[in-house]
Amino acid sequence: MTGSDTALLLVAVVLAFLANDLWRWLGVVASDRIDEASPLFVWIRLVATALVAGLVAKFVVAPSGGLAQVPLWLRLAAVAIGLAAYAAGRRSLALGVGAGAATLVCGVAAFGY
Amino acid sequence: MTAEPSAPLRRSEAEPEPVAVDGGPAKPPRDAFLQGLRASISTPGFVLWGSFIGFGAMTHDFGWPLWLAAFSTALIWAAPGQLVLAGALASGAGLAGATFAVSISGVRLLPMVVAIMPVLRSERTRFWTRILAAHFVAVTAWFEGLRLASALPRAERMPFFFGLAAGLVVGSVVSTATGHAAAGLLPRALAVGLLGLTPMYFLMSLERGADGFAEKLAIGLGLVIGPLAGLLTQEFDLIATGLIGGTAAFFAERFRTEQAGS
Repeated sequence: MTGSDTALLLVAVVLAFLANDLWRWLGVVASDRIDEASPLFVWIRLVATALVAGLVAKFVVAPSGGLAQVPLWLRLAAVAIGLAAYAAGRRSLALGVGAGAATLVCGVAAFGY
Repeated sequence: MTAEPSAPLRRSEAEPEPVAVDGGPAKPPRDAFLQGLRASISTPGFVLWGSFIGFGAMTHDFGWPLWLAAFSTALIWAAPGQLVLAGALASGAGLAGATFAVSISGVRLLPMVVAIMPVLRSERTRFWTRILAAHFVAVTAWFEGLRLASALPRAERMPFFFGLAAGLVVGSVVSTATGHAAAGLLPRALAVGLLGLTPMYFLMSLERGADGFAEKLAIGLGLVIGPLAGLLTQEFDLIATGLIGGTAAFFAERFRTEQAGS
């Protein structure tokens, strides 16, 4: 990675900090004024939820980097097994994420991708 | 909480007796801070750190230097925002597109701050203390802070929250660096497993945090639209996914309520 790439990343991180903290600061300023149940606010929350869900799906279906070398069926199997463990463990994040990651590790080790 | 016998936590004789503001006598701020610090070492903390190990591995995969990955955790302190940033940059979005997508992902923080601030603050809490506390609001710190601080006398809550947040941040920065380093050293199968941590953590956190029909629909639509939008545009696919999925879920919920009401 060249120096200018790193400089660009640093700028991106600082911009992301500002873009993200903006909402926290607005939260402080508005903490006794805002109506969480207002339609505008409900809509913005849903947009944010769909955005993060879309990103997760992209990471699984069309990843870049190391995950891209793992076949799609194994990625989907890992998510499915993770979700099954999560559900079986009464919505335990640790169990679900652990089972999913273990599936990936075993799959890559067994099939040598 | 029973009295702590351990030496570092005992108040020295010279310190003045703290004044109780609300909810009985309060421990001095330093003790409350340490109590928060200890509370960060918990199951939610370990799950969070696990996901930051995954994030660190991911940034290694995308070619970020280690220090920058750790710095992003310390500065941004929002795993969804960091994930969006890394993902957007890796799939070719420019600075503007990436920043905008991060900002959209951060909207969720506003209601969280609004919800926790009345619990943490006392009448004497300064504006800048509130701004600093708001900066530390993120899913795990928020959930645990709200749950644990509510049970404390009011004067202890803010220092307790700062202790809790400090523990979570430091652990997360260390985890990010560890994940980044491990991704380069571990056997390939394990490194790939680390890369899978973050998407799965987010998928399950989303499901866990979703209350109601509209949120669940927004997740479902986002999951379907995300990869499709990625085929059309790499610069604005995340924003398009959010707008289309979120708006559709919004109107579906309105339609449903109207049907139920009529």
